[in-house]
Amino acid sequence: MKFRLEDITVYFPYDHIYPEQHAYMLDLKRTLDAGGHCLLEMPTGTGKTIALLSLILSYSLSRPSSPLKLLYCTRTVHEMEKTLSELRRLRDYLFSELGPSSSSFLAIGLSSRKNLCVNPRVLSAESRDSVDAGCRKLTASWVRALAERDPSVPTCEFFEDYERAGSSAILPPGVYTLQDLRAFGKQKGWCPYFLARHMVQLANIVVYSYQYLLDPKVAGIISKEMQKESVVVFDEAHNIDNVCIEALSVSVRRQTLEGATRNLHRMEQEIERFKATDANRLKAEYQRLVEGLAQRGNLRVSDTWLANPALPDDILKEAVPGNIRRADFFLRVLRRLVQYLKGRLETDNVEKESPVAFVASITNQAGIDQKTLKFCYDRLHSLMMTLEITDTDEFLHIQTICDFATLVGTYARGFSIIIEPYDDRMPDVRDPIIQLSCHDASLAIKPVFDRFQTVVITSGTLSPIDLYPRLLNFNPVVSRSFTMSLTRDCICPMVLTRGSDQLPVSTKFDMRSDLGVVRNYGRLLLEMVSVVPDGIVCFFVSYSYMDEIVNSWNESGILKEIMQHKLVFIETQDVVETTLALDNYRRACDCGRGAVFFSVARGKVAEGIDFDRHYGRLVIMFGVPFQYTLSKILLARLEYLRDTFQIKEGDFLTFDALRQAAQCVGRVIRSKADYGMMIFADKRYSRHDKRSKLPSWILSHLRDAHLNLSTDMAIHIAREFLRKMAQPYDKAGSGGKKTLLSQDDLEKMGDEMLY
Amino acid sequence: MASGEVIKRAKYKTSVKDPGTPGVLKMTWDKLVLVPNNPNSAMKLDVSFKSIKGYKNTKEGSNKPPWLNLSNNQGGSYIFEFDSYSDMHVCRDFVGKALGRSGDAPAVASGRSDVILPDERISTSEMELRIKLLRENRELQALHKQLVIGGILTEAEFWATRTKLLEKESSKKSKQRPGFKSAMISDIKPSTDGLTNKVTFNLTPEIILQIFAERPAVHAAFLTRVPSKMTEKDFWTKYFKAEYIHSTRNAIAAAAEAAEDEDLAIFLKNDDILAKEARQKIRQVDPTVNMEADIGDDYTHLPDHGFFLDDGKEASESQYEQYRRTLAHDINHHAAVVLEGRVLEMDLDDTRTIAEALAKSKRADVGNGDSDRNFNQGTIARVSRLTEIEGLQALNGPPVAPLCIKDPRDYFDSQVNALEVLGDQSSGAERSKCPLSSKDAYGSLRDCISKIKAKGIHEPVIKPKDALQVFNALTHDISRTKYGAGENRQQSVLDKLPVETKGQLLQHWTSIQELLRHFWSSYPISSSYLYAKVTRLKDAMSQIYPQLEEIKKSVPAKHKQHVSVLVRQMHQALDAAFQHYDVDMQKRSAASGERPNGYV
Repeated sequence: MKFRLEDITVYFPYDHIYPEQHAYMLDLKRTLDAGGHCLLEMPTGTGKTIALLSLILSYSLSRPSSPLKLLYCTRTVHEMEKTLSELRRLRDYLFSELGPSSSSFLAIGLSSRKNLCVNPRVLSAESRDSVDAGCRKLTASWVRALAERDPSVPTCEFFEDYERAGSSAILPPGVYTLQDLRAFGKQKGWCPYFLARHMVQLANIVVYSYQYLLDPKVAGIISKEMQKESVVVFDEAHNIDNVCIEALSVSVRRQTLEGATRNLHRMEQEIERFKATDANRLKAEYQRLVEGLAQRGNLRVSDTWLANPALPDDILKEAVPGNIRRADFFLRVLRRLVQYLKGRLETDNVEKESPVAFVASITNQAGIDQKTLKFCYDRLHSLMMTLEITDTDEFLHIQTICDFATLVGTYARGFSIIIEPYDDRMPDVRDPIIQLSCHDASLAIKPVFDRFQTVVITSGTLSPIDLYPRLLNFNPVVSRSFTMSLTRDCICPMVLTRGSDQLPVSTKFDMRSDLGVVRNYGRLLLEMVSVVPDGIVCFFVSYSYMDEIVNSWNESGILKEIMQHKLVFIETQDVVETTLALDNYRRACDCGRGAVFFSVARGKVAEGIDFDRHYGRLVIMFGVPFQYTLSKILLARLEYLRDTFQIKEGDFLTFDALRQAAQCVGRVIRSKADYGMMIFADKRYSRHDKRSKLPSWILSHLRDAHLNLSTDMAIHIAREFLRKMAQPYDKAGSGGKKTLLSQDDLEKMGDEMLY
Repeated sequence: MASGEVIKRAKYKTSVKDPGTPGVLKMTWDKLVLVPNNPNSAMKLDVSFKSIKGYKNTKEGSNKPPWLNLSNNQGGSYIFEFDSYSDMHVCRDFVGKALGRSGDAPAVASGRSDVILPDERISTSEMELRIKLLRENRELQALHKQLVIGGILTEAEFWATRTKLLEKESSKKSKQRPGFKSAMISDIKPSTDGLTNKVTFNLTPEIILQIFAERPAVHAAFLTRVPSKMTEKDFWTKYFKAEYIHSTRNAIAAAAEAAEDEDLAIFLKNDDILAKEARQKIRQVDPTVNMEADIGDDYTHLPDHGFFLDDGKEASESQYEQYRRTLAHDINHHAAVVLEGRVLEMDLDDTRTIAEALAKSKRADVGNGDSDRNFNQGTIARVSRLTEIEGLQALNGPPVAPLCIKDPRDYFDSQVNALEVLGDQSSGAERSKCPLSSKDAYGSLRDCISKIKAKGIHEPVIKPKDALQVFNALTHDISRTKYGAGENRQQSVLDKLPVETKGQLLQHWTSIQELLRHFWSSYPISSSYLYAKVTRLKDAMSQIYPQLEEIKKSVPAKHKQHVSVLVRQMHQALDAAFQHYDVDMQKRSAASGERPNGYV
C-alpha cells in the first residue's frame, strides 16, 4: 500500500498497517524534518523495523536532492539477516510500484572476515582473530610484494582478482545479505570482504553491528568517512548503554601479561633480525615518527588493523614522544609497563583507583609518563607494520596491554581501575584481574551524536524513557513511547508468586537454593508442558543458577517427566552448541514435536532470538534477573551514576533487571495475529515498585487477578487463554477501535486531519 | 512379452493334489508347450489354445501358491504352478489375450501380430498393493475380473488409471516409524540384588542403538575394539564405569582414572566426532538463529576486552577440560538425536549388526550432505517467510482439496429426479441443437450489449415469467426431495429397483465408465498398440450395449421408466463413443490409401 504522510508518499510493502506503525512513522518523519535525534519505544510485535525502513526509504525518495544514506545498526548478525530480509521485501514492493529506475538502491550487510571470507584456506581457522590473521598473511602489502618476486609465496586469489578489477569491482544495486555477498564473491572471484568494505562508502543502506559505530577500535577503520547527512538507527537499543561502556573497557589477567611477555620477546628477536639484515627500515620508521606521523599515511586496505581504542576526538594529533621513537626503547617501556602491572596483580585486597592516581603511580614506579602511555597503541601499530608481522592473532595480548595504556593515559574521568585478587563467588581460587572499566555510556556514543544529523534509538523496551537521554547524554527532538492496540488480548502476562504447595517462590539470595523453591519451579514447568502446545521458553537468572536447577531437576526425575512431553534444549556458554540447540529447537517446534528451551536472561539468546508464533507460546521468567550486585565493577558504576546523574542505586538495579525481564518475555510476540503467555515466577514481581518498571504494553494486560497466582491457578488461566486464542476473530478489530488500517482507512484519516 | 511368446518356469499338475512336474512353459499365440526339466520324463504337454475354454488363477495374498488353471473344452484342466505371482500374472495375461485372439480372431488385428505393449514388469511390492486394494474393494475386484481377466484391458492399463489409489495406499503404509525414547540414556538405572555391591545393567538392543546414536565415540570404539581387543561384556562394563565416574561430576578424578586405563579414557573424554559434526552442522544452520556468526563481529569481547558480567568464567584448568562433560551438553545432544529420529528400519538384536548398520547409514548421510546450494535457496525462502508480519497480510491459507463425491448413485438420482420434475412440463421442448457458429453467437451478444448500452436496460434480461417457472420447478424439486427423504427411505431410484437389476445396472455403469475412460484416453491414436486397444474396447462396449437392452426389457413395468432413463444415459455415452470411433475409422480408411497398414 502507499499513502500520504504529510508531504511525502510512503511505500509500505503490506496491504494493511497497524495504527502504531503509522504514528511511529509520523514521529520519525518529524525527526527527519527537524534534523535531530530521537528515542522511540514501540512494543515488540508491531513491526518496528519495516515501518522504520519504509519511512526512511520513502522519505529519501520524496527528497531526490539528498541521496539516501542509512546506517542501520543491529546487535547481532542474525538480526542483520532479518533486517536485510525485510529490506528485500521492501525493495520488491518498490520495484513493482515504481519500476526499476527509482527503486534501485544498494543495501549491504557488513561483517568480519570470518563471516564473509570465501577462501577455504583462511576459513579453516577456528576463531575470528585467526581468520583475520590468516587473511593478512595472504593479503598484506609486503606479502604481496614478496609474492611478485617469488611465486611460491601464497596469496589469496580472491583478493588478487578483486585488486585487479580495480574500480570496476562494484556491486550492482540490490540487497545483499552476508550469504549473497559470499555467493557474489565466489561467482566473480572477488573477495567479498574487501568488496563490502569498499561498498560501504557507496551503499545507500549499510546494516552492521553496533560496534562498527560505537567501538572506536572498529569504527576507526570502517565508519570513518560517513557523511553527516546519514541517518543512523540503533535497533533493539535497550542495552546500548552497556555496549557503550564495554567498548571502552579493558581487563588484564595473568594470562594476558604472560602472553604479552612472550610477544615482547618475539618482537625483540624480530628487531634484532631487522637490525642485522635491513637496518634501513627501522631507521625509516624512526624518521617518520620524528616527522610526527604515527600512522604511515594512507594504509592499504588489506593492511589495516584494529584502530586506536580511544575516541577520535581524544587522540592527540602530534608527534610521538621522543623516548619511544626508537623501536628498542619502546620495547623497554612496554617491558616496564608489563612488569608494573604484574606487580599490581600480586595484591591480596580489592583495590579501586581513579585513572589519575593509577597513572601517577605508573610514572613514579615505572617511569612512564601519561603522554607516553597515550601513544602506546599507535606506536605499537607502527612497529608491527614495520616488522611486517602478519600473525596478528598471536599478538593480541600485547595489543590489549597497549589498549589499556592508551585508555588510561587518555581519560581522567568516567573510568576506574579495579584490581580483584579473586572472584567473590570463588574466594579459594586465585584469579587476579585488573579491570579498566568505563562507567560513562555517553563517552562512546558522543562522536556518533556529534557526527550525524539524525540518530534514531529504538527498541521494544526503553522504559523509563526519560532515563536514556540522561545515560547517553543527548537531547532528543522526539522522545515517545507507543502503546500497542491489540485486536484481542493476545498476550497474557501472569505473576506467579506461589508454587503448587502454596509456598512462595523466589530467586532471592536466601531462597534460591531452597529445595522447595526448585521443586515448585519444576512442577510449574511440568504442568505447563502438558498444557501448552509447541514451544516453551524458560529464562533463568544466570548460567550457574540454571545449571544448579537443571541438575536438581535431573536428580529428582522432574526433567525426565518434562521430556515425556517435550524435547529439552539448553543454552550453554558454547555458542556453537547453543546455535545448534536453537536450530533443533525450531525444527522440533516446526514438526509438531514441541520443545522447551532453557535460556539465561542477559545471555546471547535472550538478546537477539525471537520466539514468535509456535516457537514460543509461553515464556517463563524464573526469578528477577538482577545483576550480580557484589561485582565491584557494578558497584563502581552505580556510584558513578549516583554522583553524576543522581540516579539511585536501587532504582538503577531494578530498572536494569526489569528491562532484561521485559526483553526476555517480549520475544514471544511478533504480530497482532500472534499470541503468547508470560509468567513472571517470583514473588517480588507482585510488589508495585518492581512491577511498575515493566513496559506499559505488558502492564496494561496484567490484570489485578493475575498478580498473585499459584501454580494451579496459572494452569487454569493458561487453559482458558489457549482456548480463547483458538477461536476465530476479526482481524481489523471490533468496536470503535481500529487495530488494523487499510489504505481506505488511511485516506479517510487524512481527510479527517484536514478538517 | 513384447513378442507373441512367453517363456516361464512352471510346474505342471494334472490335478490339485498332484505334486507336479517342473519344466519350462512356452506359450505362443496359438499353443502352449511344457517341456519338463527332466528329459526322461514321459510327461510332455502340447496344447493348442483353440481347445482352451477359460482360465482361473489363485489370488495373491490368499495362502495358495501361484496357480494358473486352464480348462479345456473336454471338461479337463491344466494346472501350472509358477515360481512367483508376477510370472503367473504375465502368463495369465498372455493366455487371456491368446484366447481372445483364437476366439474372435479380430479382423483388424490379424495383419499385425507384434502389438507393442508397455513394459509390464512390476515389483512385487506394487503387486502386493494391487492385490490388497482389490481385496478391500469389492467393486474394483468385480471390475478387474470383468475387464482384465476378460481380456479387454491389460493389467497395466487397468492400473495406470489408478496410480493415485496405489500411491495413497503406499504412502499410508510407512507413515509412522518408531523413534527413540525421550528418556535419556543416562537414566538407565542398574538393579542391585541388595546383598552385595554388585549392580546389574540390562541392555536391550534398543538401548544400545540409542547409546551408539548419541555417542559416536562409543560407537567407533565398539567397531574397532570388539571383539578383537575385548569382549562385549568388558566393553559395556567399562562404559558404565565411565558413566558412573561422570555422574560424580569430578573432572579431576575422571582424568586420573583415564590416565590409568586407556580403554576407559575413550568413554571419559569428550566426543571428538561430535565436535566435528557440530562444526559441519553449524554451516547449515538457519542464519536468523546463527549466534556463532556474532562472535565474528564482536570486537568488544576480544580476549580481555570488555568485562565479564554476572557469570565469572569458571576457573578450570585446561588439562581437565576434556574430561568435563556437562549435563546441558548431554541433554542438548540427546534431544537432537531424538529429533533426528531413528535411521535404522530393521529389527536388530545383535550388537555387532546394530553397530555396523548404524555406521553404514551414517556414511550414506555424509554422502548426500553436499546439497549446499539447495540449502541456501531453502533458507532464503524460509527467512523471508519468517520475517513476514502475518497480521498485515491476507493469509495464504492451507491448501484445500476439492470436495469430490464419487458415489454413482448420486448421479442417477439427480438425473432421474430432475427429469421427473422437468419432464412433465418441458420434456417436449428439448433443447434443439441448432448449429450456431461462434461468430454468429458473438455477433448477437454484441448486438445485445450495444442495444443495452444505447437504450439502457428496459426490461430484465430474463423474463420474469421464465424465471418464475424455473424457480417453481426448483422449489418443487427441493421440497419434494426434502420431504421425501423423511418419509420414505426407498426414495433413491436405484433402491426402488429389484436388487438384481440394481446390481447389474451398477456393475454395467462402472464397467462402462472404465471402458469409456480408457477409450477416450486412447485418442488420438498414435500407435498400433492404441489402435488395438481401441478396437478391443469398442468390441467390449458393443457387447454391453445389447445387455443393457436386455435389462430394460426384463424389468417389471412399473420400473421401466426409471430404468430406461438410466439406460438411456449409458447408451448415449456409448453412442458418442461409437460415433467417434466410426468417424475416426472413416478418416483413417480415407487416409490409408497411401498408408495401407493404418498407421497414423
